[in-house]
Amino acid sequence: MSTLSVKTDISNNAAIITLEGNLDSSTAPQFHEAVQKVIPQNPQELVLDVEKLDFMASAGLRVIIFAKQKLGSTAKLILVKPQDQLIETLKMTGLLFSVTLVDHYPE
Amino acid sequence: MEASTKSQKFSDNLDSLGPIREFLSDSAKLAGLDKSRTYKLCLAVDEIATNIINYGYLRSGIENGIIDVTIQIENNQLIVTLEDAATPFNPFDRKMPNDEELKKPLEERPIGGLGILLAKENVDEFNYKYQNGKNHNIFVMNL
Repeated sequence: MSTLSVKTDISNNAAIITLEGNLDSSTAPQFHEAVQKVIPQNPQELVLDVEKLDFMASAGLRVIIFAKQKLGSTAKLILVKPQDQLIETLKMTGLLFSVTLVDHYPE
Repeated sequence: MEASTKSQKFSDNLDSLGPIREFLSDSAKLAGLDKSRTYKLCLAVDEIATNIINYGYLRSGIENGIIDVTIQIENNQLIVTLEDAATPFNPFDRKMPNDEELKKPLEERPIGGLGILLAKENVDEFNYKYQNGKNHNIFVMNL
């Protein structure tokens, strides 16, 4: 079975979701739930710490698109330390145009 | 490399996705596929397996459906075939987002169609056929 660990922190205007493990269709509901939880806080930055995320399928991408659609165009979407394979997926699906990649958060 | 074939059956449950990826990555490693291309193969297969479980078997009303995963290594190719007995579903009939749509801000994008895009783009060849009452989704990686 795939496992995903999801941790959520809210600080100032940012919501930080840390994802570890495998994000596929079986585990995406956990990520979706975390996003649902932070949306009412109206964060200006949604930070996804994905350094230890080893796999992400389209089910995860759909949650990211959903989050951005809910938070609006002024909210910033930040990915912390995505692995090379994930960057490749973001490139292939055009999501790379809409996210900011950083090595540390806060920088 | 010597030709070989192995296959394993998985139930039509999302909990099968992890074990399917493991089955693939173990075989890909033995075949000498590098880490990055192994990931791509796993991603492509994962997307189609997800569709079979979430849509194929569910819409067919078939309970306890099976996904048969066969891995063949021959002629410097690693060939993965997924067979399922759900309603015929040809992924090539599905509309994929075009380049223009992929470049749109996320707020203006359609949310679907990315799975099949990832299935096609991450392997060297992707084919589909319906034969003997089964869907066959075939993924090829050159070794």
